[in-house]
Amino acid sequence: MQSGYEWDFGVVLQYREVFLRAIGTTLALAVTIIICGMALGLVLYLLRANTWRPVYLLITAIVEVLRAVPPLVLLVWIYYCMPILTGLSLNGFQTGVLALSLYSAAFYSEIFRAGFQSIEKGQIEAAFSVGMTRTQILRRITGPLAFQRIFPPLVSQCVLVIKNTSLAGYIAVAEILYQGQQISIRTFRPLEVLTIVALIFLAIILPLTFLANVLEAKYRKKYFG
Amino acid sequence: MAASMHGTQTAANALLSIRKLRKSFGAIEVLKGIDLDIGRNQVVGFIGASGSGKSTLLRCINFLEEPTAGEIRLEGELIGFSDRGGKHTKLSSGEISRQRRQMAMVFQQFNLWPHKTALENVMEGPLIVQKAPKAEVEERAVGLLKKVGLEDRLHSYPSRLSGGQQQRVAIARALALQPKVMLFDEPTSALDPELVGDVLRVISQLAEEGMSMVIVTHEMHFAHQICDTVVFLDQGVIADIGPAEHIFGGTTNKRTLEFLSRYLERNG
Ligand SMILES: Nc1ncnc2c1ncn2[C@@H]1O[C@H](COP(=O)(O)OP(=O)(O)OP(=O)(O)O)[C@@H](O)[C@H]1O
Ligand SMILES: [Mg+2]
Repeated sequence: MQSGYEWDFGVVLQYREVFLRAIGTTLALAVTIIICGMALGLVLYLLRANTWRPVYLLITAIVEVLRAVPPLVLLVWIYYCMPILTGLSLNGFQTGVLALSLYSAAFYSEIFRAGFQSIEKGQIEAAFSVGMTRTQILRRITGPLAFQRIFPPLVSQCVLVIKNTSLAGYIAVAEILYQGQQISIRTFRPLEVLTIVALIFLAIILPLTFLANVLEAKYRKKYFG
Repeated sequence: MAASMHGTQTAANALLSIRKLRKSFGAIEVLKGIDLDIGRNQVVGFIGASGSGKSTLLRCINFLEEPTAGEIRLEGELIGFSDRGGKHTKLSSGEISRQRRQMAMVFQQFNLWPHKTALENVMEGPLIVQKAPKAEVEERAVGLLKKVGLEDRLHSYPSRLSGGQQQRVAIARALALQPKVMLFDEPTSALDPELVGDVLRVISQLAEEGMSMVIVTHEMHFAHQICDTVVFLDQGVIADIGPAEHIFGGTTNKRTLEFLSRYLERNG
C-alpha cells in the first residue's frame, strides 16, 4: 500500500516566469478590487445611513442581494449577460474587478456600518457640545475611532478578496490559479502546481495579516494598555 | 455663598431665558411648558425624579435635542433658530455649532474621546473649533488640568484614569471653550462614592469664581450648598422653584416634600 507518487517540482519550476506574471496579475486584481470595493462600500454605507426611507431600503436590498449571490455567479453573469443586455462588454480583468468589487463592497459596507455603530453616542454628543461640525467630527472623532474598530475585520475582508481573485480564472484571466491549472495540464503535475499556488497565496497573505496584527496590538497597547 | 446676592434678574438681562419650552418624543410629551430665567454668575440646580425631564431640558438648552415648541435664548440670541421676520427657521448646522461653543456640557458618562490623551481631549475644542494657536491652547489646557488637580495625568488616555479623574478632565474640556454657561448632567452619578468629593470640589470652586452653571444633580446636600436657585422638576413641569433654602427648608409644596423624603429614605 505504498504511495507511488514521486514529487517533482523541477519540471514545474521551469514555468516560474509564467507564475511571476500571474502573481503580478493577481496583485493588480486584488489591489484594484480592494480600493474600488472599499470606496464603493463606503458609499453604500453612507447612502444607507441616509435617513430617507426609500434610499435606505434600496441600498439595503442591493447589499443583501450582493452578499447572498455567489461571487462566481456575479462574475459569469456580468461577463456573459451584460453584453447582451447593455451592449457593453468588458474584458476578463475588468469583469473581475467589477464583479468582485461589487461583491466585496457589500461586505465592506457592513464592516463600516458595524464600526460606526459601535461608537458610543455620548462621544459624538460631546463633540457636538464643544461645537464641532459634522465634518470635523468625522475627521477627528468618529473616523479615527471607527477605523480602529474596523481595522481587524477590514484586513480579513482584504484577505478574502485576495483569495477570491482566483475566481477570475474562470473567465480566463491569467491569475495564479488559472495559470497553475494551465501548467498542470501541460506537466501532469497538479499536486506540485497546486502546492506552489498555495505557497504563493500564503506568501502574499501571511505578511499582510502579520503586519495587521502588529499594528492592532500596538494601538491596543497605546489606548487601552 | 453666592446665593441670592444677585437677586432675580429680569428677562431682559438674563443669561439664559427659557420660554414655554415643550419637548415631545413621538406621542410622549416630556417637557410641558418650561419658563425660566437664569442670571449671570448664577448656579441653578435641577432636581426631580428619574424621567421628569431634567436631562431633556439640559439637552434642549444646547440643542442636542430640538425643542418641539417654545424658545431658549442665550443673551437674547435665539438658540437653534433664526427669528428674522417673526418666523422661526432652523439655523444651519454651522450656526448651531457656533452657538454650542458658548455653552459647555459635562455628561454623566464623561464621554471623553478614548483615542486622545487628557491633554488632547481638553485641547480639541479650542484647537479645532476655535482654531486658536496650538502653543497658546496647550498652555491653557495644562493650566486647566492643573486647576482640576490632574497636572500629573496630562498624557494619560481615558482608559487609564479613574471615573473621578475622567470627569475632571471632562470639566477641564468644557472650561477650555471659555463658555458663558456650563451645563452639568448628573456629573457624579456614575462615580464610586469615594470619588464624588473631588469632582464636587471642582464644581464648587467654579461656583465661587462666579461661573454661570446649570446643574442636574441627585446630590441634595451639594445642591443645597452651592445653588442660588433650585428647580424641582416634576413630570415635565416646574413644580417648585426658589433659593436653595426654600426648596430644602421653607417649601410647603407637597410634591417637593414627597420627593425629598423619598430621597432621604434612600440615602439616609
Ligand atoms: N431620545 C429619546 N427618545 C424617546 N424618549 C426619550 C428620549 N430621551 C428621553 N426620553 C424620555 O423622556 C423622559 C425624560 O427623560 P430624561 O432623560 O429627560 O429624564 P431625567 O429627568 O433626566 O431622568 P434621570 O434622572 O433618570 O436621568 C423619559 O421618560 C425618557 O424615557
Ligand atoms: Mg437624566
